[in-house]
Amino acid sequence: MTADKAAPASGSVLVVGGGISGLTTALETAEVGYEVFLVEKNPYLGGRVAQLNQYFPKLCPPTCGLEINFRRIKDNPKIKVFTLAEVLNVEGVPGNYDVQIKLSPRYVNENCVACDECVKVCPVERKNDFNFGLDNSKAVFRPFEMSFPMRYVVDGAACKGPECAKCVDACKYGAIDLKMESKTINLKVGAIVWATGWTPYDANKIDNLGFGKYPNIITNMILERYASPNGPTKGKIIRPSDGKAPESVAFVQCAGSRDENHLPYCSYICCMASLKHATYIREQYPDAKIYIFYIDLRTPGLRYEKFYNKIKADDKVFFIKGKVAEVSEDPATKNITVVAENAVTGEKIRETVEMAVLATGMQPTAAISKPHAELNYNPDGFIINDFNKGGMFAAGCANKPADVVSSNQNATGMALKAIQTLVRR
Amino acid sequence: MTDKYMIEPDVNFIKDIEALGGDTLKKCFQCATCSVVCPISPDNKPFPRKEMIAASWGLKDRVLKNADIWLCHNCGDCSTKCPRGAKPGDVLGALRSLAIAEYAVPKSLGKAVNDPKKLPLLILAPVIIFIVLGLATGLLDFTPSGDEVVHSKFFSTWLVDIIFVPLAGWVAVIFALGIKNFVSDIHENAVLTGKTDKKDFDQKDYVLALIKVIPTILKHSKFSECGENKERSSGHLMVLYSFVGLFVVTNIFFVTLYGLQIHGPYSQMNPVKWLANISGVALVAGGYLLMKSRMDKKDQTSSYKDWYLIWLVLGLGLSGMLTEITRLAGWAVGSYAIYFIHLVFVFNLFAFLPFSKLAHLVYRTLAMAYAEYSGRK
Repeated sequence: MTADKAAPASGSVLVVGGGISGLTTALETAEVGYEVFLVEKNPYLGGRVAQLNQYFPKLCPPTCGLEINFRRIKDNPKIKVFTLAEVLNVEGVPGNYDVQIKLSPRYVNENCVACDECVKVCPVERKNDFNFGLDNSKAVFRPFEMSFPMRYVVDGAACKGPECAKCVDACKYGAIDLKMESKTINLKVGAIVWATGWTPYDANKIDNLGFGKYPNIITNMILERYASPNGPTKGKIIRPSDGKAPESVAFVQCAGSRDENHLPYCSYICCMASLKHATYIREQYPDAKIYIFYIDLRTPGLRYEKFYNKIKADDKVFFIKGKVAEVSEDPATKNITVVAENAVTGEKIRETVEMAVLATGMQPTAAISKPHAELNYNPDGFIINDFNKGGMFAAGCANKPADVVSSNQNATGMALKAIQTLVRR
Repeated sequence: MTDKYMIEPDVNFIKDIEALGGDTLKKCFQCATCSVVCPISPDNKPFPRKEMIAASWGLKDRVLKNADIWLCHNCGDCSTKCPRGAKPGDVLGALRSLAIAEYAVPKSLGKAVNDPKKLPLLILAPVIIFIVLGLATGLLDFTPSGDEVVHSKFFSTWLVDIIFVPLAGWVAVIFALGIKNFVSDIHENAVLTGKTDKKDFDQKDYVLALIKVIPTILKHSKFSECGENKERSSGHLMVLYSFVGLFVVTNIFFVTLYGLQIHGPYSQMNPVKWLANISGVALVAGGYLLMKSRMDKKDQTSSYKDWYLIWLVLGLGLSGMLTEITRLAGWAVGSYAIYFIHLVFVFNLFAFLPFSKLAHLVYRTLAMAYAEYSGRK
């Protein structure tokens, strides 16, 4: 009996992905007393949640929740965070994995105090991918105001390198080192939790919905960035063609979701997201009209249902049962006309609006770049959890489309599963 | 008190749709993408979403009496864009086939035409009729004399007409009955579902509308609005025109035979012969194109009803052309045999016209005329 409960060969857990699920798994595991390696490919933690303006249904800023998590990480010596890090390869068996990790250079070391002097002198601009390219940042930048770790980063692809080095000279703390190189490290861990999250489905692929063709058709995640105080417009929702405050907005639900030609499954969050977006717009523009075109609205649970009912009571928000399947643009006004059949009245509707938002869904990141590990996937690229085999688990949106609440619950459960792998060996 | 609406689903109707190529029906989740992407659907009560739910609920009356299933030209844009693979285009094809069977009496014959197991009977029927009637009247001679191949010496023109003239009459009667019910039904349905304001049916206006849509049909203008299945249009047009051409030729033959007592075969220099030959070639070519486009479109369901018609068209054209070629080549036995086969095809085409998919010729025309009449946009 005692032999079974002997100390494990490796008492560490690797968490891949530093979004809300990964953070939760890492913290829950570490706070029980296990050593955790948290690997994140971006230069900051927080993932998709960091890009949001508000959570539904409470409509509080996600930075609030993230901040608490960052604090917990900072205070916990059991967690080792690697940003700009990607898992190259995983070998081994449950309880004993050998993981190869590539660390890309940040070009900024721990001396950085985030004083912003480097940004002032940097001559190069790059598309800001945090804002989906809606604005530019310098080649040396801070991902967002409260990004963690609080350290600047140099975009190696955009930076002119040591021959420019203006930032190096400007930095009083000797924090910038443009000669940093990428390196590979090896970690021995007992269990791995994949929290690789999701990527917004590429709206360019939905050829009948005009994204990429007409400037005033945006996606829900782009709207989040517009609405965020730290976004490209400092929180002002505008339409891209002329920066005008939109007087009417159409939401196109199931844009690429529940569609065999794109993502066959329901992405779970888009209905609630669009309802939330209605509140963003109505708050900024009390006279704006909002049209939500849907197949059926999915707002599961008491609290989400209450939220939906609240929006439904708004006389400036119109719900139309019918999927938008055609869009066009008036070349003069750049207004968008969306076409749907109202399935309740049986009439075809052509609603002309100043801006249209595609409620695009979530594609598991693992479907786009598969981890080099022995994992099982469903046909859509979500990782299937094999609890009999154990050892490696998927948490949050790597496993299924989910909101933040479910992701956190799921991530907590996977922390327990990871711990069980270590203990039961 | 709230209004009660009790639906009475006809489960067998749903099974029939599924058997006729509409097996994807139940995948529909009513998103209405189809109605929007359809290039020829009107704005007022567009199809095919409403047909999909009516069919799915087994509302046979509602869906078969609905003219909109005939406005559909099976472009396939709806099926391509359908997020569920419910293939509304194929479902509407199945519905049309059921509507044809519904409007043609006797219904058992309609069922037989849609049933591959009954195909031997459909082929055997004319064979027996030809032989029995031919031997009884002595108008069928299995040992025709003379060096020249003259088909009427084998299969007398009299025998052809004894069979086919009454057959044409019977087809006309069945169609007349069907048309009467059909037009009154589609009008009733249009009023019921709010597709038209014209509550009282005006026959004169309807006939005027019918005349107005003829050019649309002859130009296949609706077909050319299709997105996905456009290339089918040319094959279909060729078959349509060749049928028109052959119809004209047959009538000229008939009139000159009984009016002017001039017997065939006509000289190859005769303009009527030219028309016949061109139509024959166009029939084969058009049939081939239709067959090819069906075979190429792997995502489209092609069921027996579709192949029956395509093989009929091809068989008719090929056997007709071969009859002529073997006659000119002087191969008597072959030519007579092929002629016999050709007549079996002609019989199938004629006798089952109101029952087979070919009846769309009549119903689609009437439905398009009704859409024109009722001012649907």
